[in-house]
Amino acid sequence: MLSRLPRLGLALPRSVSVLSTRFVSQSKADSAISSTAVTDPYEPVNQSGHGEVSPFAKNPDFHGFSTDPAEDERNMKVGFFLGISVALVIGGTFIHYLPDHGMRKWARREAERLIRLREKDGLPLIQENYYDASKIILPSSNED
Amino acid sequence: MLKILLPSILLLPSMWLTPKKYLWTTALFYSLVIASTSLLWLALPAEIGWSFLNYFMASDPISTPLLVLTCWLLPLMILASQNHLMLEPINRQRTFISLLISLQIFLILAFSATELIMFYVMFEATLIPTLIIITRWGNQMERLNAGTYFLFYTLAGSLPLLIALLLLQNSAGTLSFFTLPYLPPTHLTLWAHKIWWVACLLAFLVKMPLYGAHLWLPKAHVEAPIAGSMVLAAVLLKLGGYGMMRILVILDPLTKELNYPFIILALWGVIMTGSICLRQTDLKALIAYSSVSHMGLVAAAILIQTPWALTGALILMIAHGLTSSALFCLANTNYERSHSRTMILARGLQTLLPLAAIWWFTATLANLALPPLPNLMGELMIITSLFNWSMWTLIMTGLGTLITAGYSLYMFLTTQRGPLPNHLISLDPSHSREHLLLTLHLLPLLLLVLKPELLWGWNA
Repeated sequence: MLSRLPRLGLALPRSVSVLSTRFVSQSKADSAISSTAVTDPYEPVNQSGHGEVSPFAKNPDFHGFSTDPAEDERNMKVGFFLGISVALVIGGTFIHYLPDHGMRKWARREAERLIRLREKDGLPLIQENYYDASKIILPSSNED
Repeated sequence: MLKILLPSILLLPSMWLTPKKYLWTTALFYSLVIASTSLLWLALPAEIGWSFLNYFMASDPISTPLLVLTCWLLPLMILASQNHLMLEPINRQRTFISLLISLQIFLILAFSATELIMFYVMFEATLIPTLIIITRWGNQMERLNAGTYFLFYTLAGSLPLLIALLLLQNSAGTLSFFTLPYLPPTHLTLWAHKIWWVACLLAFLVKMPLYGAHLWLPKAHVEAPIAGSMVLAAVLLKLGGYGMMRILVILDPLTKELNYPFIILALWGVIMTGSICLRQTDLKALIAYSSVSHMGLVAAAILIQTPWALTGALILMIAHGLTSSALFCLANTNYERSHSRTMILARGLQTLLPLAAIWWFTATLANLALPPLPNLMGELMIITSLFNWSMWTLIMTGLGTLITAGYSLYMFLTTQRGPLPNHLISLDPSHSREHLLLTLHLLPLLLLVLKPELLWGWNA
């Protein structure tokens, strides 16, 4: 019945007139490996590494990056050099030698300096009130 | 700040202009350069204040570790995805990398945002690339369901947040992080204020996730391709934690009473999801539930708002990010060889892949919070601060720690120890790429043992 709707001609959107083709599944039927449930207009380029031919057969020095041996090696070198030598080693050294990260050593020194100063002058080490009590304006005790 | 953001933005056109042969090398090269430069953010001059300021972006001691983690993760995602994308047409590979890069851009903007609305927009914006990654490149049919759960759980939580933020903007005039702590105290006495409090936090609790609203996480983590799982586990969950830390500043004093149910839920979730892990057959689902378990501790800690709890939460967030991502990478190495996530189908792998077993061992030990790794330090600070808040929490957190050790060992022993199954006759040896990937996850974790003050947030 639905296929006769095109009789109504231009009144209906074009997609209705191609109804019969839209409901046919185009993805391949269940395959042994996990199937992508999306229509695949491109053929998979090369089935290597998926149970057929191991990439190690063609290239015993396969590093896992690319089937082209030269590019594979270049990619490996980039990854290891930048990842370990630059980021971890140089970056780690940079972080290690950061001067007083977060001013923690300064805070300690400053606290000790202030304690020495206050003990010398006989002042209390720390004031009891965090805020200056005379500056606080309290609301009146009437109900608000 | 811009010296990291602009190169990340410009990575997008460069992925489309690079010749096919050099695509992945170039992507890896530049993302590692950006990651190395991001370490400069750790040179924070002051403990509490904001650094590296411009009008819209700034970093402070709680956002800096998360920013560095975000930048570090992009090269790792590129390394992890390279193998399974090799068979796809070149434009799809470019699209995939572009999605990862755009995710990084949104995340950098989110963590460095100085204004709540900008943080909210970026928080939402990260959903889109993640959704596309999960639903397009996931491997099973369930990925559509997973994407739906992921999107709608997060959106349902964050729409109230938008309204709450707009209300706040209306009353306070500004939502800038610089001035939010200094707002005059608000009289939050009406029922509507309580609903406003929940609206502010719900989005982040769903994202963390809190145990009751966690259903999206196992689906999304399991169905996502490896890069999606990595970024979800390592960074996107922490967006929730970070958002909570930022917004709880303005939610006092309601927090003192209203946080009780959420703390209880979070702690109960630690035990429940840990127990679920003990019964899992699917390796990725086990790691996903373990993420919920760890994040439950983080959520409870952030909600009690004590200094040690916030520090512990921050340390655990970073450590868990690296550990969980490493575990997903290891699960992916299993998946790429056996095309199955079932644990018992690929067991006894220590005999076949002994070098990978080192990584399995280290990642498992990190997951079960072995000292002196930051995982333990964070968990310990959280447990002690929760104990200080109420001594009864010790029962739940102690049990949770025990169950965590249980399922981590279960995962390790099932995949690595014991006899090999009879059907495993040809597995590729571990690639150098996989070793590099796991080194770059676990070595920073070990290095953090030596300088944990990078992760302490606002505390001395």
